[in-house]
Amino acid sequence: MDPVLRIREYQRDRVNFVLENVDLAMANSLRRVMMADLPTVAIDLVVVEANTTVLPDEFIVHRLGMVPLVSTNCDAAIRYTRDCNCEGESCEFCSMILTLHVKCNESITMDVTSNHLELQPHPEKGIEEAGEEPVRRTENFGLPVGKNDPDVDPILICKIRKGQELKVKCQVKKGIAKEHAKWSPCSAVAFEYDPHNKLRHTSYWYETDEKAEWPLGENAREEEPSREDELFDFNAKPNKFYFDVETDGSLGAQEVVMKVCDTFASSENVADERST
Amino acid sequence: MNAPNRYELYVIEEGETPVEVIEDTKIPNAATIKILKQDHTLGNMLRAQLLTMPQVLFAGYKVPHPLHPYFILKIQTDGTITPDLVLSEACNQLIGTLSTLESKFKREFSFKEADGGPGAASAAGGAFATSDDPYGTGAGTGGGAGWGNRDDYLDF
Ligand SMILES: [Zn+2]
Repeated sequence: MDPVLRIREYQRDRVNFVLENVDLAMANSLRRVMMADLPTVAIDLVVVEANTTVLPDEFIVHRLGMVPLVSTNCDAAIRYTRDCNCEGESCEFCSMILTLHVKCNESITMDVTSNHLELQPHPEKGIEEAGEEPVRRTENFGLPVGKNDPDVDPILICKIRKGQELKVKCQVKKGIAKEHAKWSPCSAVAFEYDPHNKLRHTSYWYETDEKAEWPLGENAREEEPSREDELFDFNAKPNKFYFDVETDGSLGAQEVVMKVCDTFASSENVADERST
Repeated sequence: MNAPNRYELYVIEEGETPVEVIEDTKIPNAATIKILKQDHTLGNMLRAQLLTMPQVLFAGYKVPHPLHPYFILKIQTDGTITPDLVLSEACNQLIGTLSTLESKFKREFSFKEADGGPGAASAAGGAFATSDDPYGTGAGTGGGAGWGNRDDYLDF
């Protein structure tokens, strides 16, 4: 039977869909791929040139790493350093440079935010070989999500007072969330099946009344509740899955969902080719 | 400092064979297949697909240790097909399912865009307009400066 798909809600950074006629294993693998297998870019190496803020270097570096950066079309726009011909030198094909330099000269508390991160031209031109990656990048590729957009609040990195300064140089690298969660394009993936618990894959703890203490969620409207006299069907299998994918903005929700099928099929291809 | 590179969990190194088939000598038509640099994502899915096939008598997988980046798949067939061929068949079926799924997603997304793009339907709802459009770019303005370029997300 062919899978049936229905998108219930779709926004730039979020998509809610119902998937039917697939196996639980398939639906769960889909979820796993969205969370951990899609490449994005993030700040990976930081040189702290000056830090007179109240936060220690490591603290700030960690915060910088977590800033979501625009990663549209990441597959074609940047290489992994480990696959690059520069042999770990971090050239323009496998990295980007973001800098941040903020000093407070007034008697105020100043916010250092992701808006202060500036993209710099790459000093290490790639080796003479052809590399199309840089031209495939969108205008804002590698910049913090929402930078220069007055409607988006920037991400606070730290606060400084008069006389304090923060100056850092960051290398942006491509990676996946299996290496570090900062590379995950998703901030949350909700996954549900069998909202009435007809399959008894779980048992609810309760004080006095199970039904009153475990109110039904939105997805319960999609399925018939079990009747009082209905016998337990121990052969039944889950068949309808409810997803809600929310991204951090590095990739759009559509790109996440579309890339899953690709990424996923390629790992099966590997398994297939080698087994025969 | 002595930790292995995290990417060793999922990148096949020089000299490693991604799939290794070990035929079982004691059970007929059975094989143990070791798949490197893959985890439950692929393992569980292959297992489930194999179990739907009538020629398969047994299929099971395990990740022997969470720090060792491989899984083991055990398959026994009824003898009409060898375990490695049945695995290959299962992979093809999964790839087939995924490509239908991909085209369904494409179709659904194109319908949603015809309806006015992301957020249009719910932004019209009024009260929730702000929360449904957290980046305030609205449905119509999108494009150029926005980061979530909708239909042109791969258009270069
Ligand atoms: Zn390089």
